[in-house]
Amino acid sequence: MKTGTSISGLGHITLIGLAVFGGVFTHRPVPPPEVANVTMISEQEFAALTRPVEGVPPTIVPPETVVEAPEVAPATEPETTPAPEPTAVPDPEPVPIPTPDPEPEAQPAPAPEPVQEPVTVPTPTPTPEVLPAPAPAPVPAPSVAEPQPSAPVSTPRPARRVASEIAPPPPPDAAPAPEPVAGAAPTPEPTPAPVETEPEAEPAAPEEATTEIVTEAETPSETAPAAPVVTAPVTSARPAPRPARPAQTAQPAVPAPEPPAPATPPRTAGSTSTASSDSVDAALREALESAARQPDAAPVVAAPSGPPLTAGEKEALRVSVQKCWNVGALSSEAMATTVVVAMAMNRDGTPDAATLRMISSSGGSDAAARQAYEAARRAIIRCGAAGFPLPAEKYGQWQNVEMSFDPSGMRLR
Amino acid sequence: MTRFRLIAAALALALLPFTTPLLAQNGPLRIDITEGVIEPLPFAVPDFISENAPGGEYAQRISRVVAADLAGTGLFREVPQEAFISQITAFTPSVDYASWKAVNAQALITGAVSATADGQLVVKFRVFDVFSDTQLGEGLQFQGTTNSWRRMAHKVADAVYSRITGEGGYFDSRVVFVSETGPKNDRRKRLAIMDYDGANIQYLTNSSSIVLAPRFSPAGERILYTSYETGFPQIYQLDVGSVSRVALPVPADSMTFAPRYAPDGQTVVFSASQGGNTDIYRLRPGGAPERLTNTPSIETGPSYAPDGSQIVFESDRSGTPQLYIMGANGGEPTRISFGAGRYGTPVWSPRGDLIAFTKQNAGRFHIGVMRTDGSEERLLTASFLDEGPTWAPNGRVLMFMRETQGAEGQSALYSVDISGRNLKKVPIDGAASDPAWSPLLK
Repeated sequence: MKTGTSISGLGHITLIGLAVFGGVFTHRPVPPPEVANVTMISEQEFAALTRPVEGVPPTIVPPETVVEAPEVAPATEPETTPAPEPTAVPDPEPVPIPTPDPEPEAQPAPAPEPVQEPVTVPTPTPTPEVLPAPAPAPVPAPSVAEPQPSAPVSTPRPARRVASEIAPPPPPDAAPAPEPVAGAAPTPEPTPAPVETEPEAEPAAPEEATTEIVTEAETPSETAPAAPVVTAPVTSARPAPRPARPAQTAQPAVPAPEPPAPATPPRTAGSTSTASSDSVDAALREALESAARQPDAAPVVAAPSGPPLTAGEKEALRVSVQKCWNVGALSSEAMATTVVVAMAMNRDGTPDAATLRMISSSGGSDAAARQAYEAARRAIIRCGAAGFPLPAEKYGQWQNVEMSFDPSGMRLR
Repeated sequence: MTRFRLIAAALALALLPFTTPLLAQNGPLRIDITEGVIEPLPFAVPDFISENAPGGEYAQRISRVVAADLAGTGLFREVPQEAFISQITAFTPSVDYASWKAVNAQALITGAVSATADGQLVVKFRVFDVFSDTQLGEGLQFQGTTNSWRRMAHKVADAVYSRITGEGGYFDSRVVFVSETGPKNDRRKRLAIMDYDGANIQYLTNSSSIVLAPRFSPAGERILYTSYETGFPQIYQLDVGSVSRVALPVPADSMTFAPRYAPDGQTVVFSASQGGNTDIYRLRPGGAPERLTNTPSIETGPSYAPDGSQIVFESDRSGTPQLYIMGANGGEPTRISFGAGRYGTPVWSPRGDLIAFTKQNAGRFHIGVMRTDGSEERLLTASFLDEGPTWAPNGRVLMFMRETQGAEGQSALYSVDISGRNLKKVPIDGAASDPAWSPLLK
């Protein structure tokens, strides 16, 4: 008995722990970027920078969000590029082109979804025969759940289209059938209705389905339960820009990180006298302990290297580098080459010149990349000689820096 | 106890997900930089060291020409020698970087010159990236004669330019042009050739007849030009070395003009006017002229793409002069210029990416460039009369003729970067027009 209870106890605790913490764990990457956003949202320009990061929260699956982020980034870049152009008097021509493009692309995205829906229509057909019985009773809910997993994506969509068409066909078949249909049509019940109607509607449905699809796209709200899977990618694209302003909407996540930060310092001062005034390590330790006690405080765990830089702080670094980044003597090919330079930073804000290296380049030959890298290196060394304006208490956040130098927006202006 | 331990173990297991992220260091801070500055890069050229007595005569002069070449591009700015806080006393592979950083010299060029009694000259140089504490490339040396000391200085400047910018230089090149003397109503014209910077002018023809539009061959050893010595325009080919000339075998009863070499250096395209209609012809070595266009409109100003596959030319078939591109063997042309105004004198860039042209619109003339499909048109200049662009060997600079207004108006040669910056007059005594840039000299 003892062994049995302990084993079961162990198992349960492990499961509960994994259930509670496992979910939190996946969210971990999200919190740090959000913190940065909250403080910065006020500045619209910075929002563009944070967009790719914010793209993460909406979608649950991290790998997908990572892929999408780069897509969003290019869209923002064209917007930023126009800014420099006004300064250049001579060539206004290139300016108009970049800005209009990004907008149209984002909107058309929803349209393609409907196309997928028609394709799914065939799948529901097999299930119809079995379903008539469960349909009438509300109880079937659990039973319905089983069929869904087999083709969750396909079933929900037919339901909407069919629902409108279905009304006529059901009556002829059988008495029992019409009843469920009537109930289904008015009510939101998604799964039962589609199954029954589908068998009859199949032959005639395809043509009409296409016309209906359009309407479905217009009113996506009803499909909420089934839709999420299909629409996920599309909706995720939009959220990226929006989160920037209403970041407050993500209040649950946002408030969590902030309170812990202020909370920790008082604790150290009051509870532990050993903690000296501003030792970062102590704060980190405190943060770790609090995280261990409170699973919800996950975001705080990111604090080990200090709170993330605010957009303003990143901007200060960016500006201080680009004022020394002289591309005037670059070849036109080098002007089309983007180089990413990595370096380690000293605590005084100066770059460690020995660690400067080019980690990637794109858009030009090796020779062009070398010229572009040399110009970038000169910029970093020259303007970093007196130390970049970086907050010392966040050293952990900027002890390693990667800078991407993209001169394409400055070409021939 | 065991249960307690088990529970503790379970708790530790449950907390595992939290600890792993702690161990993982945060990624590097990523910054995207898309805005830089465009300004001349400061460089320092201390006087080259003379390694022997005869070399002393040239050391200082060569270093001055190198500095003038670089500063003349507009891409570089020389740090005045008075600002130097250290001097170069030896031609060594290492320098005191700190003292050059202090005067904000981002590039440092050092050199040494030696000469022999029989007129041989050796120039050595090194380029340093001061703020990176490194030498850019290896030291190099050129050998020549004391008479060609300017060319050797240009070669040094070309090498420095190439190492810093990543593209070829254009200093060791020459320009052929029409030198003009006398008032407008009695203008005397001669073919002349000079270094790209206006030095070493030599005359190739006398002023007995009018000459027009000289063009270098791809190797720079021959020149095509149009002369009126028979009373109406005829095309001649002139050998630069011997200054001897021959008339091209074209129909003697037609006016021929606007010649240009194909990239092979043998084939020539030109315009011929017969019975009031002007079309473009091609003359291959040993052959007869072949007609490439055949329309009642005026086609002229042909210029080959660097790969020889296409020809850009101007035509007024649409009503106003516009630019068209056709295959090297003729065929249906494609119009590429669609802006307001008249387009003419198209010239394909030696890099192949751009076409330079003259544009006349709203009473003003412009030199401009566009992509080979006609997109991204950019006007680089604007004046009372700008005309006849010619490309520097590296395709980054254009030289053209600018004439001032009025009876006292004079034509002069100007150069401009294809970004539209660094517009400046080529220092020549007297009037000049119709420049044509040579390739880099061998």
